[in-house]
Amino acid sequence: MTNLEQYKAQYVNQNIQFVVIDFDGVIVDSDQTFMDLNKGDYIYDVHPFFTSYSAMLESLDETITYNCVHIEFLEKEFITDVKMIKKDNGILMVIYDLTDHYISYQSIAQARNESIINSEFVILKNLELEERERFKNAFIRNFSHELRNPLTGIISITNVIEGTNLTSEQQQMVSFLKESNSNLRLLLDDIMSLSMISSGKLQLRDKVFNLYELLQLIEFTYRTKAAKKSFDFVLNYDKKVPEFVEGDRLRLFQIITNLLDNAFKFSEKGEVALTVKLNQKRANKVSIRFKVSDNGVGIPKEQIDSIFESFKQLESISKQQGSGLGLSIVKGLLELMDTSIRLESTVGQGSEFYFDLTLKFPLDLASKPILKNRSTDTGISQTHKGRKFKLLMVEDDERIQTVLFKALMDTNLFYIDLVNDGALVFEQVTNNDYDVILMDIDLPNIPGDHLTKLIRDFPFKNIKNIPIIGITANAFEEQINEYLSIGMNAVMTKPFDLQELVETVLKFLKK
Amino acid sequence: MQKSRKIVILGHFGVGKTSLIRRFVSDSFSDNYKVTIGVHITKKVVELDADETVSLIIWDLEGTDEIQMIRDSYLLGTHGLVFVFDVSRPSTFQNINEDLKILASKTKGVPLMVVGNKIDLILLNELQTLLKANKIEANYLTSAKTGDSVNEMFTQLASLLND
Repeated sequence: MTNLEQYKAQYVNQNIQFVVIDFDGVIVDSDQTFMDLNKGDYIYDVHPFFTSYSAMLESLDETITYNCVHIEFLEKEFITDVKMIKKDNGILMVIYDLTDHYISYQSIAQARNESIINSEFVILKNLELEERERFKNAFIRNFSHELRNPLTGIISITNVIEGTNLTSEQQQMVSFLKESNSNLRLLLDDIMSLSMISSGKLQLRDKVFNLYELLQLIEFTYRTKAAKKSFDFVLNYDKKVPEFVEGDRLRLFQIITNLLDNAFKFSEKGEVALTVKLNQKRANKVSIRFKVSDNGVGIPKEQIDSIFESFKQLESISKQQGSGLGLSIVKGLLELMDTSIRLESTVGQGSEFYFDLTLKFPLDLASKPILKNRSTDTGISQTHKGRKFKLLMVEDDERIQTVLFKALMDTNLFYIDLVNDGALVFEQVTNNDYDVILMDIDLPNIPGDHLTKLIRDFPFKNIKNIPIIGITANAFEEQINEYLSIGMNAVMTKPFDLQELVETVLKFLKK
Repeated sequence: MQKSRKIVILGHFGVGKTSLIRRFVSDSFSDNYKVTIGVHITKKVVELDADETVSLIIWDLEGTDEIQMIRDSYLLGTHGLVFVFDVSRPSTFQNINEDLKILASKTKGVPLMVVGNKIDLILLNELQTLLKANKIEANYLTSAKTGDSVNEMFTQLASLLND
């Protein structure tokens, strides 16, 4: 033998076994390379795989190869490729032992499959969480929608009752009723805010506004509140802070008042202070620190992280006034403004909540907004003196009809027509010359937003341009924007303030 | 030689093909996932009646998400097929009807059973919803872990192939 043949015998032939069987499956010959087979035995008794020799007999193929077949023989496992070749007197089986090769393939396949399965589970888990979040938000949305209608009725009717002749006992009950209404309304607003923040639906609306005016309003409100309690409210503000800044005034107001309400809730003595300080001014940007400090009960260290979680709050201070959602709202709003709330607190001494906010401010003083003269109702009624206006009220809820009717009639400025079905509006509008329409959105047959579109598309100017004020229980900003974009002049959300409603109607009256 | 019938178990990887066979053959179960490569073949004699047995030669194929790629030699001389999917993993049944069509064209006329495994992992009503949503007509819904419907499935197949 040459060297090469020796090597081949040593390294290759060791792993290849030749077996010959007859057409009945009886072993005729075997070279016994790695399995000792007895001549005369049935091959299918060696391992069930070999029953496939019978398929070979039925097949037209002369050669069939089976790859990666596991064969257990005398408690040892071989992973093999098996070639079956038809011969004149039987079948030749060539069995390649490729165990080492296939074992390394097995470990690769194992890692690959495991990682695919794991990532599938992560995706499924996320989908499930998103689904839950969606369900939660939809639930809150529907729930608050459903609550707003009856609440509007209750608030409005309470206001009507308040204006009638009442005994002092009845007056007391009405004022209790009003307080409960307003708490309920605040709670509802908080839940909505939180739902909008967590679903990413809340968008900041940055505009130039007068920060000093905002602070003065806060000072006035909380001085009054503090006067009723036995502590002081102090506002400290740095004169270097610009008077006009660009930001979302409403949300900043919400953040500060939530922090102050929280401080008031937990204070019994000393003072609550709001401090507004300039950090730095660069180009047209200014960083301002807002700090609310109190001499209240303080917060234990271990609770500091959890007090911003909405449900923790609900649990621990459920006996306190308010929804307890204020701090979660603060946290969410500040995150939207790319900053965060920070807190230092000592039990028994008090707490300090603070945040740094970067705002743009106009360098050019000419860009100061022109302060609009607020139109008071006396102002308006003087402008329109001696004239009455034709108003169409489209509303199907009888409670709201009653309340609106009374509030509008009390001004003595309107002739009012009432329609309670969307399908009847168009006829009414084309046959009358209305100065303004109050339009509910949820109407039988044709919804109010649809009607508004139809009116705005009308060819005649006197109809096309009638001012339309929408009334809706749907307080979501995107929805309100949609109503405005299809042509409503203003949208009032339920529960609304009657005074505000009358002012809005007067503001948009057809000139 | 005893009457024997070759059945091939196939489907995506990780759906529990090996576990179903282990439950049927040795009535055992392990949570550890070990990938099958190539093919494992086991034999189990099934008693259909007091005097009638059939020997099932069960081919446990490596899982694949491409039925087209299954080696033809594995399917040669097959008497019955079992297509297994995992009810807890949508990727294993999202294209099931496509997969079954391809399989049918590869194995003309061979009886096939469709089996949804791991039913212990989801709720019954979720299961019904997903079967409906994916238009799956499963012959058996099993759990190799609890043993639910495993013997029934194999025995039913054995008696079907015995006729």
